[in-house]
Amino acid sequence: MAHESESRDRRMVVLGLLGTSLDMGKGHKRWERWRPTVSLCQHEDFLVDRLDLLCGKRWSKLADVVTEDIKSVSPETEVILHQVDFRDPWDFQEVYATLHDFVAAYPFDTDNEDYLLHITTGTHVAQICEFLLAEARYFPGKLIQTGPPRAKADGAGVLQVIDLDLSKYDRLASRFEREHEDAIASLKDGIETRNKAFNRLIEEIEHVAARTTDPILVTGPTGAGKSRLARRIFELRKHRRLVEGELVEVNCATLRGDGAMSTLFGHKKGAFTGATSDRQGLLRSANQGMLFLDEIGELGLDEQAMLLRAVEEKRFLPLGSDKESSSEFQLLAGTNRDLLTQVEKGEFREDLLARINLWTFQLPSLRDRPEDIEPNIDYELDAHAKQRGQLVRFSREARSRYVTFATSSDAYWSGNFRDLSASITRMATLAPGGRINDDVVKLEIDRLGVAWRTRAQGSHFSLLEEVLSPEKLETIDLFDRPQLELVITVCRESRSLSEAGRKLFAASRMRRKSTNDSDRVRKYLARFGLDWDALCRMDGG
Amino acid sequence: MSSDLIHIDGSFGEGGGQILRTSLALSVATGRPFRIENIRANRSKPGLLRQHLTAVQAATAISGARVVGDAVNSTCIEFHPDELRCGDYHFSIGTAGSTTLVLQTILPALMLGEAPSTISLEGGTHNAYAPSVHFLTRAFLPLVERMGPRVSIELERHGFYPAGGGRICARIEPVKKLTPLTLLERGDEVRRSATATVANLSGDIAKRELAIIQQKLSFPDEALKIEQIKDAIGPGNILSIEIESEHVTEVFTGFGERGVAAERIAAETAKDVRRYLGSTAPVGRHLADQLMIPFALAGDGEFRTGRLSGHSETNLETIGWFLPSRLEVVNRDDSVDIQAQ
Repeated sequence: MAHESESRDRRMVVLGLLGTSLDMGKGHKRWERWRPTVSLCQHEDFLVDRLDLLCGKRWSKLADVVTEDIKSVSPETEVILHQVDFRDPWDFQEVYATLHDFVAAYPFDTDNEDYLLHITTGTHVAQICEFLLAEARYFPGKLIQTGPPRAKADGAGVLQVIDLDLSKYDRLASRFEREHEDAIASLKDGIETRNKAFNRLIEEIEHVAARTTDPILVTGPTGAGKSRLARRIFELRKHRRLVEGELVEVNCATLRGDGAMSTLFGHKKGAFTGATSDRQGLLRSANQGMLFLDEIGELGLDEQAMLLRAVEEKRFLPLGSDKESSSEFQLLAGTNRDLLTQVEKGEFREDLLARINLWTFQLPSLRDRPEDIEPNIDYELDAHAKQRGQLVRFSREARSRYVTFATSSDAYWSGNFRDLSASITRMATLAPGGRINDDVVKLEIDRLGVAWRTRAQGSHFSLLEEVLSPEKLETIDLFDRPQLELVITVCRESRSLSEAGRKLFAASRMRRKSTNDSDRVRKYLARFGLDWDALCRMDGG
Repeated sequence: MSSDLIHIDGSFGEGGGQILRTSLALSVATGRPFRIENIRANRSKPGLLRQHLTAVQAATAISGARVVGDAVNSTCIEFHPDELRCGDYHFSIGTAGSTTLVLQTILPALMLGEAPSTISLEGGTHNAYAPSVHFLTRAFLPLVERMGPRVSIELERHGFYPAGGGRICARIEPVKKLTPLTLLERGDEVRRSATATVANLSGDIAKRELAIIQQKLSFPDEALKIEQIKDAIGPGNILSIEIESEHVTEVFTGFGERGVAAERIAAETAKDVRRYLGSTAPVGRHLADQLMIPFALAGDGEFRTGRLSGHSETNLETIGWFLPSRLEVVNRDDSVDIQAQ
């Protein structure tokens, strides 16, 4: 059988500075002193396979003594001396640069070796630098600190490995877990969302938001919560002290013409008619903070060019100024448009898209998150209660009816959370005695159905404008319009007045003895001066 | 291969490193593989320390063993020896670990090998909790030689904790079979002597130690000797007391320790000597531990010693797992006879 040893395949390598005072020791008395570098190799339960010792030229004699002594106490250890000189070992820049260079040039073999950086020797500045190098992973290992024996029995003294991956420490990990959960909860506005894809997305956002200063692009349909998320990201970064300044928000759809340039980048007094004083612009206001540009797809090409420069170089030219202004901000951009298509059409700069497309998060529509509708209903009720100081609740059957509808395929939620919020507000306002009952819900469901259908057809109330004169329309309350619209739509989809009646009163029909639904429809239409023939005639054209 | 694998729970009995060393020694000597778990479970730093790892590596080297788990802090190893390879070896032990304990691990097999061996070892030569080189050369090896093999140890340089750097060289001329030995009587006392050794320390320490010995054991002046060591790397102090009798020489060693007064070290060593002199058993506690393996390998013979320590009892049990011939313990009034059969 051939000799083969199967274990101990990874080598333990320690890098450290020679301690010009702590490692010092002459004559036999030196063995009575605790010397950190030698002590590293004196532990019975810790074996250093290789020690890379950094020392200055003028300390070569000391280095030789230490090397000899290590050979004696630890014949298993290979000691390699590296000449590294500091002009001033207390100069942070010099020490960091020197150590950084050393580490950068060091042939780390992480597949076969484990690395420890011995921080006990060297100046405090060197310790700080060592910490930074390990923390930034320039040094691919952990820190090790040694200390003198606390009691005689400790022999070689104490030794402690410090892993900067804090999640490895149980007590700290639970603390970070809590903080992480708080951040997630905050990003979700405290709503306990159940949709897995959405929750995963928020986890990703939390991870990225806590780490990057690069632009973040949030896409998603209107009302999906882009601006709300932007505010939460800002709060998260503010809470972690990652950002000093403020959040500046602007919807690009509201910026037009000269005003757009001036609003964003500022202007000098007299730059154009009406520029009566200097204006610093939103980018400048966002200095050290975050700038949220919603509907970035609406931004004009000139503004896009200036914005790109501001993002890349932190500099831009205010209108009418010959002096560049600067601002350090993190860009958050929102859009509900497909920017790639816009790029193809020449409406959006490809280079700007490339720059802001680094971290892109697509918020799903409410329809894609049916599990989250219920928690959001509760959230909206709470929000209403806080805003109006009035608690509103659903009756059980009303809630069940509303949720069933809201999560069904009939509910388009084309305005997403904006629709949900408006819907809850309407119901809460109409709720008799703070209780949303079945009737309120039924009415609301009709209202939503009409709103989505008409929105899908184009502009609001076009159907009413079509069948009613403007004068007549003015006399009809906004409250009544969706319902009328719904009735007209159903009529037009029906072959007869009685068919329309059956559809419109389908739910109550079963419970009534006499059913004269067509009559009810006729009477309803008559209230607005309309009749079956007129509706169908106009529709047929 | 694993059918005759000996399973050992390293936490039994006294639960220290001796279980591992005895297992290694007998595994190489008998060719029987073993697996030990819970290595040094009863110690504050459980698992293999570096000195134990070196013992494993030395045993591996002379037997061409296949080993699993041979790493610092490992609490389980499996050791499959191949064939004994006598010859010249060099082993270095870190942390000023004991050279004699590593030698103890490989000596039993090599003294029964096919050819002579020369083993040079570097590390500590006089460690607390380990047989000193003086003890081996004066007390243990003469008895081993009476069983057949020629074994000499040359102390080339002293090595003390913590600096280490000592060097010994052991030369072994093996025999095919050990001659049984009977050691029940001490015989008349021939000579007694005390040597206080200091390395890189004041000779005053040695003087103070010998003064205590003289006072407590009434040694004559000519029996006291001071030895100044010049070539050791670090400081060190040992007090070695020899009681030479007709049939056996016993050696008692005190180890100087930083922060412990020379007088105390001498007084404690004197206590050990007094206890030995107050009994009639020829073999002291530490020598008994050393003799168990050769006697068990011989399969015959007996020796008498004082009450067995926990350490000795653990050692006896470990030996029993590897060797069919058993060591029988026969209790007497204030001593025991260890009989190999």
